[in-house]
Amino acid sequence: MGEVFLDGVVKRFGRVTAVNGVTLRIRDGEFFVLLGPSGCGKTTTLRLIAGLEFPDEGRIYIDGEDVTYKDPKDRNVAMVFQNYALYPHMTVFDNIAFPLYMRRRELGLTKEEIRKRVVEVARLLRIDDLLNRKPGQLSGGQQQRVALARALVRRPRVWLMDEPLSNLDALLRLAMRAELKKLQKDLGITTVYVTHDQAEAMSMADRIAVMNEGRVVQVGSPEDVYLEPRHVFVATFIGAPPMNLIECKIVEGVGPNPALECPGFTRPLPGDAARVVEARGIKSVYLGVRPEFIAISKAETPGSIPGIVYVVEPLGSEHVVNVNIGEDTILKVKVLGLREKLRPGDKVYLNIDWSKVKIFDKATGEVLA
Amino acid sequence: MGRRRTSLTPILFIIPAFLFILTIVIGPSLATVYMSFSVEGKLTLEKYFEVVTETSPKKALVLLPEGLEPPPWGALVHNIVWMAIHIPLVTLLGLFLAYILRYTIGSSIVKAIIFIGMVIPMVVGGLIIRFMFDKDVGVVPIVFDVLGLESLAKTWTSYPQLSLLALILGSVWLWTGFSLTVYSAALHAIPASYIEAARIDGAGHWHIFWKIVFPLVKPATIIVVIMTMLWDLKIFDIVYVATLGGPGGSSNVLALVMYLYMARAIDYNAAAVVAVILTLLTIPPGLWLALRGVRSGR
Repeated sequence: MGEVFLDGVVKRFGRVTAVNGVTLRIRDGEFFVLLGPSGCGKTTTLRLIAGLEFPDEGRIYIDGEDVTYKDPKDRNVAMVFQNYALYPHMTVFDNIAFPLYMRRRELGLTKEEIRKRVVEVARLLRIDDLLNRKPGQLSGGQQQRVALARALVRRPRVWLMDEPLSNLDALLRLAMRAELKKLQKDLGITTVYVTHDQAEAMSMADRIAVMNEGRVVQVGSPEDVYLEPRHVFVATFIGAPPMNLIECKIVEGVGPNPALECPGFTRPLPGDAARVVEARGIKSVYLGVRPEFIAISKAETPGSIPGIVYVVEPLGSEHVVNVNIGEDTILKVKVLGLREKLRPGDKVYLNIDWSKVKIFDKATGEVLA
Repeated sequence: MGRRRTSLTPILFIIPAFLFILTIVIGPSLATVYMSFSVEGKLTLEKYFEVVTETSPKKALVLLPEGLEPPPWGALVHNIVWMAIHIPLVTLLGLFLAYILRYTIGSSIVKAIIFIGMVIPMVVGGLIIRFMFDKDVGVVPIVFDVLGLESLAKTWTSYPQLSLLALILGSVWLWTGFSLTVYSAALHAIPASYIEAARIDGAGHWHIFWKIVFPLVKPATIIVVIMTMLWDLKIFDIVYVATLGGPGGSSNVLALVMYLYMARAIDYNAAAVVAVILTLLTIPPGLWLALRGVRSGR
């Protein structure tokens, strides 16, 4: 069991509002990622769930129990810190056993039972041969496992992780990502995971909460936040390279609907977007399209947008082609297996998959259609 | 030739400093050791025997008591008693204060006040101790008077039962600033996440302090204990000013005995003997601390 519910939580540090009215419902057994740039309030949110900070407003519930002002030790949550926070003067065994020793009476554990549970969890994380070492004698990856073991050993209701992979080198990080996700799924512990790395969030999460300036901008599955961003911020924060944004004006159309006047092309506005635009009197918008939803060709087809190749970035399996479509607007196009050799200065034609296009209000950044 | 000159260069640089140390440190030290063994031109242990077996309370190093008696117990015993009370008090008080002041607003002001004891001259410190334990103006007897403890509401430095204790407690005040400063720096170096991790893992204040904080400040504890030990062995000024070892030698210490042999009894050989004994006591902890620093590359 481990359902976490944050209800309108606000946390201020002096004049700075770190967390500004966050409401989240994290389901039991879910791998939930808080994603955002540094300073967006994601770590503070995690610390509020842990009980290391108390909110100024709002309530926090774990399994329906109000824990808003409870001490961390009374919440039955475990946390993995960015720097692992392993106690340097204790052996790996003592580090992992520490949470059990602290609750020995409460859990009614004997020394032998503690030993058994430590060995069991150490075996699970394949660190059972390191139990007599001190943290200083371990590699980064091993320290990481010890930190995970310490957080697992007392079977917490919620597992909290504050950028636990950011201190590992790139290869190990990729390996640990998969391993951590597998572990979480096998054990079924509700996990709240903080990261600023969108690729990490996409690959591990069941659901992601994208945060910016203390607020939750969007909550959804990785596919949701990737394909259906509700805000320009989400569109540009998630994806590598991020979504292309083209600044367009709303003009009188040929038919009943207004049209979009964009650099290099003009196009009628789809029906649902047109209604919102007219109702709110919006004059300029961003047209958002992911780099993989643009096709590039040297041959002109009806409706294609002409452009000049600006630069080509080869990324191994794929290429990112930067194309200038006029008025200094550069679109990034992701191409799997480049069929024709493209050089800077080549004239090309772009075909946008219009079913995947998003339209955002330029003033508020909110999605219109 | 050129190569030979390069190997001589470091020696040339060392020579002035070495000559300086030779004339003002090593020479007099060796002379003192020689003097402690020399009686009328002969090298003998006679003086050592004389000084160690001395029974006059004002000069004795060790007095064997018959049962439980108040001081004087001899200067060496006084020094040991001093360490036994002073080291734990200063260590724990410094750590405790540093720990609670770490999370307190305005703690720098409190720390500065405590640190005053370190800054003022020891002679002034000795005088303040004398006043602090005076029946009419001293805060300690007045507090005990209010509490109704007649036996402690008197001038402590005038009674053999209390004079040594008065000096030791006074020196706690003078020396806690040192321990507080060292511990403050050590606590500052502990990452906040260690404490936070322990809080989440279910540790209360008591466990966090003893299981996490205390082991992590162990290097600071070693420094504080050894430096305090050395300070206690060398203690002189506050005793000289506050009690002059009295009454009746009840608060005598080694350094004061050495001074009394030298300045009052004009017995330089006996003074040299006490000096050698005092040095032998301070060398092991000092050397251990220095070598420990060398080993860990500090």
